[in-house]
Amino acid sequence: MSATATTLRTRRRPPREAAGSPLLLGHGRLPRALAGTALVVLAVLWLLPFVWAVITSVQSEEDINTTGLSPFKGAFTLDAYQQILERGNVTVWAFNSFLISALVTLITVAVSTLAAYGFSRGTFRGRRALLGVTVAAIMVPPQLLVVPLFDQMTLFNMVDTYAAVILPQVVAPMMVFILKRFFDGIPKELEEAARIDGASEFRVFRSVVLPLSRPIVAAVAIFVFIGAWNNFMWPFIVTNDPDLMTLPVGLATVKDAYGIQYAQSMASALLAALPLIVVFLLFQRRIVNSVATTGLGGS
Amino acid sequence: MSSRLPAQGVPAVSDPVRRPSRRRLLRHAMAGAGALIAAGPLSGCASPASASGASALSVWDLFQGGDGMLMDDMIEAVSKGAGGAEGFEVDRTILDWGPSYYTKLAMSAAGGRASDVAAMHLSRLAGYAPGGLVDAFDLDLLAEYGVTEKDFTPAVWSRTRHEGTVYAIPLDVHPFIVFYDKKAAEKAGLLDTSGELAPMGSPEALLDAGRALAEATGEAGILFGHVTDTAQNWRLFAGLYAQTGAEFDLPDGGPPKIDVDAAVRAVTLMTRLFDGKTNPNNLDYNGALAAFSSGRGGMAMLGEWELPTLKKSGMELGAAPFPQVFEKPAVYTDSHSFVLPHQNSPDPARRREAHRYVAQILKQSLTWASAGHIPAYQPVLAEPEYAALDPQSSYADAAKVAVLDPPNWFAGAGSNFQNRMCQPLQSALLGNTTPEKAVRQMVREADTLLRQPNPVA
Amino acid sequence: MTTTAPLGTEEQTGPPAAPADGRRTALSRVRTGNGLVFVLPFLLVFGLFMVWPIVQGLWMSFTDSSLALRDTTFVGFDNYTEAFGDADVWSSLGNTVFFTAVSSVPLVLIALAMALLVHSGLAGQWAWRLSFFAPYLLPVTVVTMIWTWLYQPELGMANQLLDALGMEPVGWLSDESVAMWSVAALTVWWTVGFNFLLYLAALQSLPTTFDEAAALDGAGAWRRLWSITLPQLRRTTGLVAMLQVLASLKVFDQIYILTKGGPNGSTRPVLEYVYDVGFTGYRLGYASAVSYLFFALIVVVSLVQLRLFRRED
Repeated sequence: MSATATTLRTRRRPPREAAGSPLLLGHGRLPRALAGTALVVLAVLWLLPFVWAVITSVQSEEDINTTGLSPFKGAFTLDAYQQILERGNVTVWAFNSFLISALVTLITVAVSTLAAYGFSRGTFRGRRALLGVTVAAIMVPPQLLVVPLFDQMTLFNMVDTYAAVILPQVVAPMMVFILKRFFDGIPKELEEAARIDGASEFRVFRSVVLPLSRPIVAAVAIFVFIGAWNNFMWPFIVTNDPDLMTLPVGLATVKDAYGIQYAQSMASALLAALPLIVVFLLFQRRIVNSVATTGLGGS
Repeated sequence: MSSRLPAQGVPAVSDPVRRPSRRRLLRHAMAGAGALIAAGPLSGCASPASASGASALSVWDLFQGGDGMLMDDMIEAVSKGAGGAEGFEVDRTILDWGPSYYTKLAMSAAGGRASDVAAMHLSRLAGYAPGGLVDAFDLDLLAEYGVTEKDFTPAVWSRTRHEGTVYAIPLDVHPFIVFYDKKAAEKAGLLDTSGELAPMGSPEALLDAGRALAEATGEAGILFGHVTDTAQNWRLFAGLYAQTGAEFDLPDGGPPKIDVDAAVRAVTLMTRLFDGKTNPNNLDYNGALAAFSSGRGGMAMLGEWELPTLKKSGMELGAAPFPQVFEKPAVYTDSHSFVLPHQNSPDPARRREAHRYVAQILKQSLTWASAGHIPAYQPVLAEPEYAALDPQSSYADAAKVAVLDPPNWFAGAGSNFQNRMCQPLQSALLGNTTPEKAVRQMVREADTLLRQPNPVA
Repeated sequence: MTTTAPLGTEEQTGPPAAPADGRRTALSRVRTGNGLVFVLPFLLVFGLFMVWPIVQGLWMSFTDSSLALRDTTFVGFDNYTEAFGDADVWSSLGNTVFFTAVSSVPLVLIALAMALLVHSGLAGQWAWRLSFFAPYLLPVTVVTMIWTWLYQPELGMANQLLDALGMEPVGWLSDESVAMWSVAALTVWWTVGFNFLLYLAALQSLPTTFDEAAALDGAGAWRRLWSITLPQLRRTTGLVAMLQVLASLKVFDQIYILTKGGPNGSTRPVLEYVYDVGFTGYRLGYASAVSYLFFALIVVVSLVQLRLFRRED
């Protein structure tokens, strides 16, 4: 995806978005102070678990177990992080998470975009029926299919392979629906012009429709990526080999010979949290837009 | 790998228990991505695991804490080639004890790409062998590596088979025993001339012992943690019930064969013993453990695996097989054993290595015994080093009268069956129901489970 | 990767070396025809990984299909009859509904409050957004690891705070009457950021004319919130609530990792029961039947919601 085009597009949005509406509070001092206090209280509540985790992760197991946890008692140490990284599990799972989420995103976006365009512009027989089935499938929670899907994977001899983790995740009727609605809104005249110039349907799609759809495609991609990155149930069910597990599955499943160690537990949790938090800090606006446009089914 | 890891800068060879390395990570990534891209989805079955024939032997277990570290030591020893044998490259995976472990084990076997060797409680074998989720051992191959049937006691060996074929090789026997504070027991007059716990022989003797111990400590007599625990009540009950000589049989389709009178005798003794006065009736597992460690009781009914924890308390610790109080000697036990999880296309060379690995680990049983477990491999018991282990050697005889869970697909360590048996027993101990009602509910629960279609037959 | 093949084909055949115009249009019509080709990759994965398991699951629910490697036989409605009489099915369904109730309400209301507060124009927009939305980006295991530690009986933050306030410690995950509330609190912390963003986006796209007019008429902030902003958000609230209820009904991950459904089954949702009987208990056929009963419930809830929603419109 070309980053510049999307950025330009985002910039064109009215600046009001970031500023909020001062009208809501009026200019009275009291409401402003009340609102400010409420916000700070909420933000502190929401950040506290992170802070507690960070403090725990930089202490030694002995200090946590003997003195009880207090940020001021224990000595600062990065031992927990060092041990986690030395063991290497978290690195393997992070790699798997990246590989799997990236492939899921790539395939889902490709498949869904093509299908949405086909549904939007196609004239083939059964188009309406197939579209209806697709839309109805939005109601089917994938979690309900884990039992037959596992059965299917044993049949295909695919349990404990990347393919088994990835493929069932690329079916995204909701995304097809969102993209189709977007394509419906693109004036057909633009494509006609290209067709008159002799471009094939694929070429029309690629050089006329896709460029116009970059923001929505980016939004779908981000949404799918976050979903795949955080998906737990299916990868948990279909992987038993620790070397194939994703971050959430590995962390939840594989244990350590020494039993529960809180500093290490928090250190690995924070390491696992880091990638998406960093990505969010870098692409905050685009991620926010993505949730806003795709979260309610594109409305 | 924290405290006992050698200092930094030591070559990687010193850590033969392999964690996934970056090299392996890349190999898997390539294999996975390659399978996806090059050959399309269906041939994704060219698995990373089988693509690498010469990779490390993968072993699964559920040992954490003391047991976990000892297993690390044993794996390290065989990896380096203990006793002049060839070494191994071992990739160890530890999963959570209980249902999570057994679920994953079954799923990996059903998927066909399971680990090469896995640990299993012998009481669970009936849920795995009949359904083809574990593969059979080749006894000739094991004999080649110095392990044969006569190295095990018949009580344990008989449970390794399904329809005459051996599916499990036991590593240990771990009975439910009594630990006692030697000073308190001496004061209470419970020791024999050699300073060991004297036989009891009757329920009254056990009740008297509780009172005497309570007097000796000035606090509780006998401690037992069971509240919200999913196994403790069953362990205590099953041992006492077996001592009555009655049978506990779980035939598919039901009804369960349970001698209600014998069961009521056992539960009644439990409620009389843990009456909430002499001996507390409302402790949870860790509460009882902590109370005993800190001297707030003279005796505790626990699994022998708590030995390392209790040794740290500094008390003069004694241990004995669970005392015989009814007609027949019996001690509730289980056994950690090794199985070969089912693989769709096992590589013969790897299978051979798996046999050799199991044989080699058994020969490290003395290390395992330091956690309190009684080695199943009898040659180790005969060694003078074992006799010197105190108090392990005092309860080694428990293995001879071992009673395991009734063999049924849904029973065994960490099973739903044990959990469901524990609920009515807990109510009885807490005084919320009578022994008769508790037993009736146990029979009902067992019947419900037996009425389910058996998914492994 | 079958799915990217059409794009690849186009890559090779598309660009320069263009033949005469007429021929090319004809060719393109042959290649792409009526647009079915575009839909084929999707239909392939949809058929394989959605339709197949739906049909297969339905079939399995009428068999004694097992995780163990043995033959499967048809058992008619046995699984369904058993499920209707299975107390654990009902208690786990009850737990699911209870969780949905106690998590959805705060997940909607707190999200709305957060969005209104952030939208009110106080400085530091990105900081508020980050604090409220960041937990949503955490993988479930990270969330449960942090909260297991917060809820830890002796050393955890929750009980240490209670202790500092001179109150008795609470068995956050071990007390049957408390555990589900603890799970709900975790869930609110974790996912409220998503609803918050939906509300924020809705607020930002509201026309301000009414608000401005009312302000000119001298209506106070509180008054305008109740009689202008909130009514304008009704549609969004309907959608958010609908999505939230459906999401909460599907709860599994955090409960499975946090409590495994305990203590004593008090937090076990129906999806975990499916996992427990299907994989832990090997009975895939029975688990499929329970899944289908639950699916029926979800369909009913969705239809009721849709109807309510339509009426509101």
